[in-house]
Amino acid sequence: MRRINPIPLAAVGIIALLALLVPYLGLPDPVRIDVPNRLAGPSWQHLLGQDEVGRDILSRLLWGARSSLTVALLSATIACVIGTALGVMGGFLGGVVDLLTIRAADIVLCFPPLLLALLVVTLLGPGAATLIPVLALVYLPGFVRVAYAGVLSVRHQEYVEAQRALGVGKLRIMLRTVLPNIGGPVLVQFSLAMASAVVLESGLSFLGLGVVPPSPSWGLMIGAARSTMAQTPLPLLWPCLALTLTVLSMNALCDAVRAAVDPHGVPPRQRRWLLPALLPGLPFRAGASLAVRDLTVAIDTPAGAVRPVRSVSWSVAPGETLAIVGESGSGKSLTGLAVLGLLPLVARPEEGAVLFGERELLRMDEAALRRLRGAELAMIFQDPMSSLNPVHRIGTQIVEAIRAHRPLSRRSAWQEAVALLARVGIPDAARRARSFPHELSGGMRQRAMIAMAIANRPTLLIADEPTTALDVTIQAQVLELLAELKAENGMGLVFITHALPVVAEIADRVVVMYAGEVVEHGPVAEIFTRPLHPYTAALLRSAPPEDGSLPQAIPGTVPLPQHLPAGCAFAPRCVSRRDACEAAPPPLEQAAPGHDTRCIRWREWQRLPVTQGAEA
Amino acid sequence: MWVLRRIGVALVLVWIVASVVFLAIRLVPGDPAEIMLSQGGVSPDAAVVAELRDQLGLDRSIWDQYRANFQGLLSGDLGVSLTDQASVSGQVFARLPRTLELIAVAALVSVLTGIPLGLLAALRRGGWFDRLAMGLAGLSLSVPVFVVGTLLVLVFAQWLALLPAGGFTPFRTDPTRHVAQVLMPAITIASSLAPVLFGMTRAAVIDVITRDHVRTARAKGVAPAGVVLRHVLRNALIPVVTVLALHLGTLLGGTVLVEYVFNYPGLSGLLVDAVNARDYPMVQGVVLVISVLFVALNLTMDLVYGVLDPRVRRA
Ligand code: SF4
Repeated sequence: MRRINPIPLAAVGIIALLALLVPYLGLPDPVRIDVPNRLAGPSWQHLLGQDEVGRDILSRLLWGARSSLTVALLSATIACVIGTALGVMGGFLGGVVDLLTIRAADIVLCFPPLLLALLVVTLLGPGAATLIPVLALVYLPGFVRVAYAGVLSVRHQEYVEAQRALGVGKLRIMLRTVLPNIGGPVLVQFSLAMASAVVLESGLSFLGLGVVPPSPSWGLMIGAARSTMAQTPLPLLWPCLALTLTVLSMNALCDAVRAAVDPHGVPPRQRRWLLPALLPGLPFRAGASLAVRDLTVAIDTPAGAVRPVRSVSWSVAPGETLAIVGESGSGKSLTGLAVLGLLPLVARPEEGAVLFGERELLRMDEAALRRLRGAELAMIFQDPMSSLNPVHRIGTQIVEAIRAHRPLSRRSAWQEAVALLARVGIPDAARRARSFPHELSGGMRQRAMIAMAIANRPTLLIADEPTTALDVTIQAQVLELLAELKAENGMGLVFITHALPVVAEIADRVVVMYAGEVVEHGPVAEIFTRPLHPYTAALLRSAPPEDGSLPQAIPGTVPLPQHLPAGCAFAPRCVSRRDACEAAPPPLEQAAPGHDTRCIRWREWQRLPVTQGAEA
Repeated sequence: MWVLRRIGVALVLVWIVASVVFLAIRLVPGDPAEIMLSQGGVSPDAAVVAELRDQLGLDRSIWDQYRANFQGLLSGDLGVSLTDQASVSGQVFARLPRTLELIAVAALVSVLTGIPLGLLAALRRGGWFDRLAMGLAGLSLSVPVFVVGTLLVLVFAQWLALLPAGGFTPFRTDPTRHVAQVLMPAITIASSLAPVLFGMTRAAVIDVITRDHVRTARAKGVAPAGVVLRHVLRNALIPVVTVLALHLGTLLGGTVLVEYVFNYPGLSGLLVDAVNARDYPMVQGVVLVISVLFVALNLTMDLVYGVLDPRVRRA
């Protein structure tokens, strides 16, 4: 649990302290009537003036705080203790107890709270003594629910199961492990109940159904001052102010408690665009359809900027397929997103350039970039379930892509969408177009995604792990489909994946990324037969071999961008490491025309026989 | 299919609520008839108590009473008031439309302010507008409705004399006055509902905007307005509708204070009077009607939910 914000805590503390100390402050009697001085303004004896029968307003205000907070505290405590006990029992013992407590709580929750309070007041008659059980009853179900949910979530966790297996009694387990675990949510519920009880108490008293006159209560004071508010508004405004400030600080405290118990990440920063800067003088491959040059992506964190993509360069020609491979965390997806200007809000391109034909995408304004996205430049995402909008029909989502770029009527766009679905191999396309994403299989959804991406015949398609979520047969079909589409339209394809076997099938050239950098880049045949970087070699060995022998996983994980080693980023996991590797980051060197590597020992790997490659 | 099941669950809930209301009155310790008649500690006359016991059928077995009670309910008979012998259902249904009108206007005002402002604040998250709106919503949520109502009366009726301080005029008698009288109570209710919708919309939009399908929409080149309306707001509305339904339900019994402040003769006022007079049949009738409406509202919202979120329909 994090620290609770001190400001609301202090505010509530001051109010509570005042309520506690009223009897000792030497204030005038809050119920002493002084009719001749009714509605008198502020004076030294009566700092805030006197009310409609001459009672001291300040004194009544503070005594009111006392009664209000007492009622709130007692009712919330009773509700908390009983409710939590019932919820824990229901969750832990299950069966009949579960049924009785939880269902009963659900039924009570069916009544609007104020209505429930009124009903009970009818039965028991008004008064402060009734108020406490009434409010306790109103808040009870909330605690039952919270405690019950908390127990259910920890009940099957390993340490509880383990204790049960060790023969620890149910009661002991409940007290020792479950209660501390549900403490946070119960605390939040408690602060909510307190704040709400203050409001409800004042409301009931205002109606004359709560605290009985002449005892001081804010609700009663407001109710009584209404009749004279046209002449003297102050006796009305003081209790209004007191009530509002109290509820405000209690609500703020609720938020603070909630924030402390349940922290939700740091709010992201909102800068997206690179400040227009001079384009670096860029030599790029003639005829490239897309060229990424020295792209660096930064994420601003409280501890400073981290760079999950650093100085990455590659290019694709029309009709060519470039594969970007690497484990998760290598920065390959971020590179793809940066090209389309679709980076998450926290990330921003920091340096470099992306050239699409003559245009530079990183410095293009959003409107112009939008006209390219989904038209000439399209992207397919990894998880088709979350990448499709669950509330719109498949056909509608494709129509949207078409109509974003071409002024077609809804009707003809729909026909085109159906044709596209048929083109990507969805049987009964006219009917499927009317389906929602959750009604399709994984393979169908990915085909629909592809149909959406190719709707406007892009010249370049970036596919981010398009086959990861699919089984092998469907995977092969999707790859075949992509190859066909490429052949049909002569489009360039950037294929981002962590699966090397797929790369062998589809790619012309391969970029291997590790910890945000390109570590090797070359033609697919060379990469597979004579890798010049130990990471590439390790990736090849980690793929399931065709002869059925066991793949060799790479031990360790990709370092986080904020914890990069000083020298070669792969050194901690590299079996060929030398001391020299850790001295300085190795540069990306050209080993052969069109084949680069970031390993200082590449000359040794080059001399090894084919198929063994680096450190065989 | 799921529609039928929801309706079934709703009916069971209504039955449970009716039974609880019935039992609550019978299970209070002591003789209900005596409690009803004792006012201010004076013991009632034995003959009067006996008469009331007979009228309420309290001498019969609880099972008989229960059956009679439900037979009455099914034929729309909620009994007669103890204070003036008027038919409970007649009273209730005369006042129900007024309360519903109030809630409907309040809901409309809240939806039209809370949702757009919540969307705007979320899109400008962390900016000055967001912070200002968050502050106002927090403040508005902290001022109890009867304080808002009383202050509105003070300012707009007493000081500025722009609007009537309260009361009710049938629409047919005087449309302008009718609207003027509904306006302030409705705005008062909205002052607590709008910030809730605002906060929920803001949170939901912030959540939805980072989802993958929004990125897909942008990748398709959809214009920003389209992305925001069709992919962000449309999906964010699902939780907002749930919250709206919950709060509208609470309002069904929760307009008590507002009706009292504005002297608006709605259902809640009837309830408060009945509670004060210990008029059990009336209390029972009002609570029952409100509960039925509450359940019906939840059912409607479930159906709306099914339209908003096609995934629910499968269940
Ligand atoms: S530079 Fe050294 S540590 Fe890095 S990959 Fe090459 S051999 Fe391994």
